[in-house]
Amino acid sequence: MAQLVGPLRKELADSLSSCRVLVVGAGGIGCELLKNLVLAGFKNIEVIDLDTIDVSNLNRQFLFQKKHVGKSKAQVAKESVLRFCPSANITAYHDSIMNPDYNVEFFRNFQLVMNALDNRAARNHVNRMCLAADIPLIESGTAGYLGQVTVIKKGQTECYECQPKPTQKTFPGCTIRNTPSEPIHCIVWAKYLFNELKTERGCLFGEEDADQEVSPDTADPEAAWNPADAAARATASDQDGDIKRVSTKEWARSTGYDPVKLFNKLFKDDIMYLLTMDKLWKKRKAPLPLDWTEIQQIGEEACGTGLKDQHVLGVQGYAQLFRRSVETLRSQLIEKGEGAELVWDKDDPPAMDFVTAAANLRMNVFSMNMKSRFDVKSMAGNIIPAIATTNAVIAGLIVLEALKILNSDFDQCRTIFLNKQPNPRKKLLVPCALDHPNPNCYVCTSKPEVTVKLNVHKTIVQALQDKILKEKFGMVAPDVQIEDGKGTILISSEEGETEANNNKFLSDFGIRNGSRLQVDDFLQDYTLLVNVIHSEELEKDVEFEVVGDAPDKAPAPSAPEEEKNIANGNKDSAQPSTSSKAAEDDDVLLVDSDEEPSSSTMEASPESSNRKRKHCDADTDDAVSKRKRLDQQPADDDDEDVIALD
Amino acid sequence: RQRTMTDHKTSKEQKYDRQLRLWGDHGQEGLENAHVCLINATATGTEILKNLVLPGIGAFTIVDGHKVSGEDVGNNFFLTSSSIGKNRAQAATELLQELNSDVSGNFVEESPDKLLDNDPEFFHRFSLVIGVQLPESTCLRLGSVLWDAGVPFLVCRTYGLIGYMRLIVKEHTVIESHPDNALEDLRLDQPFTELKHHIESYDLDSMEKKDHSHTPWIIVVAKYLEKWYSEHNSQLPKNYKEKEAFRQLIREGILTNENGTPEDEENFEEAIKNVNTALNPTKVPSATEDIFNAEQCENITSQSPSFWVMAHGVRDFVRNEGNGKLPVRGTIPDMIADSDKFIKLQNVYRDKAMKDAAVVSKHVEALLQSFGKPPESISEQEIKLFCKNAAFLRVVRCRSLAEEYSMDTFNKDEITSCMDSADSEMVLYLMLRSVNRFYQQHSRYPGVYNYQVEEDINKLKLCVNSLLQEYSLNVNVKDDYIHEFCRYGAAEPHTVAAFLGGSAAQEAIKIITHQFVPFNNTFLYNAMSQTSATFQL
Repeated sequence: MAQLVGPLRKELADSLSSCRVLVVGAGGIGCELLKNLVLAGFKNIEVIDLDTIDVSNLNRQFLFQKKHVGKSKAQVAKESVLRFCPSANITAYHDSIMNPDYNVEFFRNFQLVMNALDNRAARNHVNRMCLAADIPLIESGTAGYLGQVTVIKKGQTECYECQPKPTQKTFPGCTIRNTPSEPIHCIVWAKYLFNELKTERGCLFGEEDADQEVSPDTADPEAAWNPADAAARATASDQDGDIKRVSTKEWARSTGYDPVKLFNKLFKDDIMYLLTMDKLWKKRKAPLPLDWTEIQQIGEEACGTGLKDQHVLGVQGYAQLFRRSVETLRSQLIEKGEGAELVWDKDDPPAMDFVTAAANLRMNVFSMNMKSRFDVKSMAGNIIPAIATTNAVIAGLIVLEALKILNSDFDQCRTIFLNKQPNPRKKLLVPCALDHPNPNCYVCTSKPEVTVKLNVHKTIVQALQDKILKEKFGMVAPDVQIEDGKGTILISSEEGETEANNNKFLSDFGIRNGSRLQVDDFLQDYTLLVNVIHSEELEKDVEFEVVGDAPDKAPAPSAPEEEKNIANGNKDSAQPSTSSKAAEDDDVLLVDSDEEPSSSTMEASPESSNRKRKHCDADTDDAVSKRKRLDQQPADDDDEDVIALD
Repeated sequence: RQRTMTDHKTSKEQKYDRQLRLWGDHGQEGLENAHVCLINATATGTEILKNLVLPGIGAFTIVDGHKVSGEDVGNNFFLTSSSIGKNRAQAATELLQELNSDVSGNFVEESPDKLLDNDPEFFHRFSLVIGVQLPESTCLRLGSVLWDAGVPFLVCRTYGLIGYMRLIVKEHTVIESHPDNALEDLRLDQPFTELKHHIESYDLDSMEKKDHSHTPWIIVVAKYLEKWYSEHNSQLPKNYKEKEAFRQLIREGILTNENGTPEDEENFEEAIKNVNTALNPTKVPSATEDIFNAEQCENITSQSPSFWVMAHGVRDFVRNEGNGKLPVRGTIPDMIADSDKFIKLQNVYRDKAMKDAAVVSKHVEALLQSFGKPPESISEQEIKLFCKNAAFLRVVRCRSLAEEYSMDTFNKDEITSCMDSADSEMVLYLMLRSVNRFYQQHSRYPGVYNYQVEEDINKLKLCVNSLLQEYSLNVNVKDDYIHEFCRYGAAEPHTVAAFLGGSAAQEAIKIITHQFVPFNNTFLYNAMSQTSATFQL
């Protein structure tokens, strides 16, 4: 075997064959990486991925074939690699890396960990595990033609969480339920609707189901009804027949998911009800209800040529699609038997049809321009385009960084950005020296501390746990102790110990302005001190704010000027893939920022071009040290892809 | 039958979903009609092909006269130890074919030199030929055959920790260059008749508030531009100060409530925000102008590619009906407006674009007929796409290998100016030329076996010096590079091959789909420093 005999020193070649490495993720980058590792001479490789293979993976994840669809990615990847390189010693886990079995001890088994992930939650977690175990980590990601690789080493480089990442855009409930103004609002509504209709309360999204309510929100502060209006409202309800304000799901069940009834409720009755909140429509254009029977009368022009998915149908077309998809989903539900549920998946045609139809009908109601199925899918699935070539390039770069790490050449390691095409300075690759740890990082400093502004009278313990500690601060199983001199345990990761606290307010435990909470995550070997600032003046729909971490405002003075845009996946701050197939996407992560595909095609570009990044390539002493990162976004017109990288 | 066709199409749509979002269904169609030839199924070669088979090129043919060696199996994922001794083209084809059943895989168990001796026309049939790890002499021979036949040629090489690509294509035309941040084509400075009429149909002063705040910003800008013209001698606001004044004029048009405070009119905010780009004077971009003035556009023959026939048609339009302007693109950005107003405005632009494209069609038709070609030899759809992208057309012309090598035409300026900095990637190019020279003299590459490294350093140094002398290059190549290249021993490490495989396949896709702009013409990658550069040689 002539593995790098020339270029590699013998000691390095030896250490490749004796060392043990972990690959987290067996998707687009993972497949390429496994191949590169075995052919570079790595012998002991463990790979973990909780995903199964989907048809849309096959255009790039070359270790999988059609016959493997539905099987474990990690397992099939291992088998395919072994077919070609029988001498490799590969262990595959079909599991989530966030499972407590993979503790700090587990991570200490490796000389090197390589991430090939697609979501921020898992990236955060692996970052912490590698810091806790003091194992070097190579982080990477691609999005379309763009890609990035970087190296993280405790105490020497920035960690994955040293620079705050823009959080995924969320939409206020009222916007989704009452006053959508962009297609994305209607798409989010349609996805909620799907879950509302198809799941048992509490099965899929836990008690948070209430956050995904789709029917008109009467508590909308903007609507601010007078008592007099209430009468009108009651009359409107009466006129609509016997519709009471029950949950959409219950109602749908009671009608046996009759598509026409459902249609008239969602797009006529609910809308008429919304119209009674006339305050909402003083400045806005009022919605126009749709009636099933009337729609059937419209004659519609035929569509053009090209792929079916890329046509924008008319309102009648979407009404028919709505009916057909509801019927298909209903029969799927019946097939599965009593108490069954369906899980939304953008790659499941009836589910995608349903969301396409419902979202477009709502867009029509709210006078927006309708979108093709192709475009809706992009937005609903947070789809980031993904191709074989970029993954191949990035996986090649990862192994070269790995070689430097095993050679203990940390000073030679780089963050490398891959451009769509050679930039004006003729560089396709832009290597940057690694930055030192951010002394204010709330993860990798020796005694991490954060300050959180919230309303102690309105924040319940459950929200502290789920939204602040888990979602925002990336913990998996936090324990919280109040530093009140008594060591009151607020949250315990032991099941059942503190459940009773969940629905109580923080103030019920004496937490007030200036209180300090000690939060531990034993799995991550991570302790965080949370300073509480009580505030009654948070903006509408904002439950808490991390002080010094408001991405919309001026950056904290301590933050270095360059962006470390290790990307995050499109799943972003959402739950890890384990919890919801719905949020899922394939490989990788994106490069700069919040991945929220924007509704108007490419508005992302000018915005992202404001981002700056220090260029510290030794051989390019160019004075222009700032460059655009995503300046390559195709600024195409509306019939192209709507995948905005910002 | 119909049914299976549809099913097949749907499953393809699913399988290729993530890439259709980059190059569209017509880009995919281009890929599926392509036949790519790969010479030498080394690690770099199979990596490139893997990245073309996965997205679904129509067919590939591997040309390789080598037998699979143990060394091949060590760095090539698509060769297994059971294939040792077999022909390399055949063994690699079998495994690459497995990756995608939509692709047709073929192989020829012959060296490229033999084919060039016996049947040079063999290579004419391909959409693209990719030559990997070729000796210099073969590369030059093949380069000349393909240049004459007009077949694009991509040369790829992994040499130790160095990656090299050279694209040789006489003329590569791109309709969809996917420019970054392209300006909209709104014609507000020179509105066409239908747009004028449409603007006139609005009267902002007599509108209800709801309508007022749902009028598309394009109309708002157009309306206030009229006002501006009347006060400024019909001159567009040009400099910053004037534009600021124009913004103020729009701002004053925002409705106010009973207390005199301005209402929240987002469409006016949008108008103000877009003033700068919306008032950009309409003109033919210089790259498109160059295409109009090119000789290929001037002298259309029955052999002219459709790109040039269409370019000529658009040029005729610009010089006649268009009054110096390109056909209207016909798209407008998303904006705040109610559907009705937006769709009406959109239709004004779209209809005009269709009309303009129809006029271009007439010109194209006349042209085709003038040399007896049926008008349908260029479809309506192609012409529409061409018109829509008329402002973004690109033509890439690479220099031939003969020009790169000739004493009279080699790009001395590029080489010497880059070599002002001793660590420019240009030094890697000079080193690759030097190891080729070494190969010519010694029939082997330097440092292939460890024991040779020391003695080969001096031999390679002689090659470097003779190369520099021959070309009268007064540049300094550091000894470090000579040592390093000897140490490489012409190895083809998999990681570097994998990197180059991704990069080369990416360029191949650009060439095949005629979308995005390929590099011109030399790319060098240094895996040690993770740096890269492109040069025109």
